Amino acid sequence: MAIVAKSSRFSKFGRPVLAWGVGLMFFFPIFWMMLTSFKTDADAVKPEHLIWFTPTFENYLNMTENYDYWRFARNSVITAVLATAFTLCVGIPCAYAMAFNPSRSTKDVLMWMLSTKMLPAAAVLYPMTFITKSAGLFDTHFLIILVLSLINLPIVVWMLFTYFKEIPKDIIEAGQMDGVNTWGEIKEILIPLAWGGIASTALLCFIFCWNEAYWTVRLTTTDAATLSKLIEGNRAPEGLFFGRLSAVSAAAVGPIVILGWFCQKQLVQGLTFGAVK
Amino acid sequence: MSDRKLPRLLQTPAVLLLLVWMLIPLAMTLYFSFIRYVLNNLRRPEWTSPSPSNWRGFGNYEFVLNSKDFLFAIQNSLFIVCSILFLTVILGILIAVLINKTFPGQGIVRVLLISPFFVMPAVNAVLWINMILDPVLGLQGIAVGSINELLDSLRNAPLVGGFFSLWPDLAPISFRATQTSAYAVIIMVTWQWTPFAVLIFMTSLQSEDQQQKEAAILDGASTWSQFRFLTLPHLARPIAIVVMIQAIFHLSLYAEIEIVSRGNGNKNLPYLIGEFANNNIGAASATGIFAVILANIVAIFLLRMIGKTLME
Repeated sequence: MAIVAKSSRFSKFGRPVLAWGVGLMFFFPIFWMMLTSFKTDADAVKPEHLIWFTPTFENYLNMTENYDYWRFARNSVITAVLATAFTLCVGIPCAYAMAFNPSRSTKDVLMWMLSTKMLPAAAVLYPMTFITKSAGLFDTHFLIILVLSLINLPIVVWMLFTYFKEIPKDIIEAGQMDGVNTWGEIKEILIPLAWGGIASTALLCFIFCWNEAYWTVRLTTTDAATLSKLIEGNRAPEGLFFGRLSAVSAAAVGPIVILGWFCQKQLVQGLTFGAVK
Repeated sequence: MSDRKLPRLLQTPAVLLLLVWMLIPLAMTLYFSFIRYVLNNLRRPEWTSPSPSNWRGFGNYEFVLNSKDFLFAIQNSLFIVCSILFLTVILGILIAVLINKTFPGQGIVRVLLISPFFVMPAVNAVLWINMILDPVLGLQGIAVGSINELLDSLRNAPLVGGFFSLWPDLAPISFRATQTSAYAVIIMVTWQWTPFAVLIFMTSLQSEDQQQKEAAILDGASTWSQFRFLTLPHLARPIAIVVMIQAIFHLSLYAEIEIVSRGNGNKNLPYLIGEFANNNIGAASATGIFAVILANIVAIFLLRMIGKTLME
């Protein structure tokens, strides 16, 4: 009985306090970045202005001037949106075929797709640079969209496949009886039924595209450079620009962190390939 | 066209795209790893373009294996990956068990906890190395500075002054040296990936057998033995999956290393490949093949495990 009493006191006071402490600790660096973004560059490095300072929006207002932020943000949006769209266009028919018309090789194909995701990108760094430069694709939106699509395609197919598998086959077959053709099935039966799953897959794919930091850094210089490249290029401001760098960083991650809150559940599925339920 | 054929054909675009994406660059890496291919070489201009006549056999592999950088990069990669795995799994289990029960504000705590995972790697590195870990201007520097100021004033205080003058000043740690920048990378990646571990362990804890647990409580099992004999075995599989997925991701860690370590000697395999690729393509490709082999060792186990769930 003593144990029960002790553990209930823990769950009444200890657990919430500890849990909140851990949560705030993990969020602290993001909070700190946000706080610094409202300080002037001079205030940002002064101990006496650590917490008390006159907040300013100047860092956000000057993002274009200081970093050309919107150009990089535009590239990030264009590449992430189009890559997500393209991945879905290729991924939905593929997952549809695998879920509703599986063959003996379906499982192997799925596993093989995942295995491509596990190849280290750096291993093909030079060939990729070589191919893209000789094809004149280096530093183009087209290339970044294609690369982002290909690295996310396995995850997207996998996630869609798990969603589609849960749709009863009878519904699709009823469509076939009514003489609906394959495209009709996808467009009029599958997509409306699996809408939630498709939306969260798209969201997750978009987040992964936005945060990608190997190819977007190595295969761009200026024209198609994304926010990852922008931040990477300003890695060592030597304390001079902490304020403005924080602002541009906060602007780069803010929207994505908020989007991320909405797809925690899908994240588990997407990243563990359905192996944890 | 028959009923079944068109639906099956629908997977061809995805399969073809991935096949091209995987095979062509990898085949080129394999080819380059067996020839002499150096971008800048005035004395042997024939080596500056790929050609089978520059065949070198396993020469590039030998060169890479004998280079100090390679051994260091492998060691360092493994050190960084293993440290991150150890920390994220331990922290992940503790935090998941902590927040798995309901308490006021559970939803908000979850949101706070998961946020680091969505921060882009470049921002993560820039934020930690500058705003937080910088030995002078970052939070670390400011904290160390104010502690030293406090010590200073205590030294001049009456009565206790003699005691505090025995204390040395604290020295801030610079995280831009070879070894310490590896620690910086470990700290920032652990911060980013612990939420991932927490999320997976929580998902798994929710499917824990509650009846079994209640029976254990009735039998008088302590909280510890419940955790040790029920929860931990239940988490074995998710732990294995977290370890393997993270191993694959972190073996190809790039942005953090690039931002924290440029020029200070701290490197991992992807970074070393990038260095080689500035000039010695043969060596870069051979290193790449080693990286593929290393990743595959982990991937085989992971794929086998995923394959099993797929059958269920």
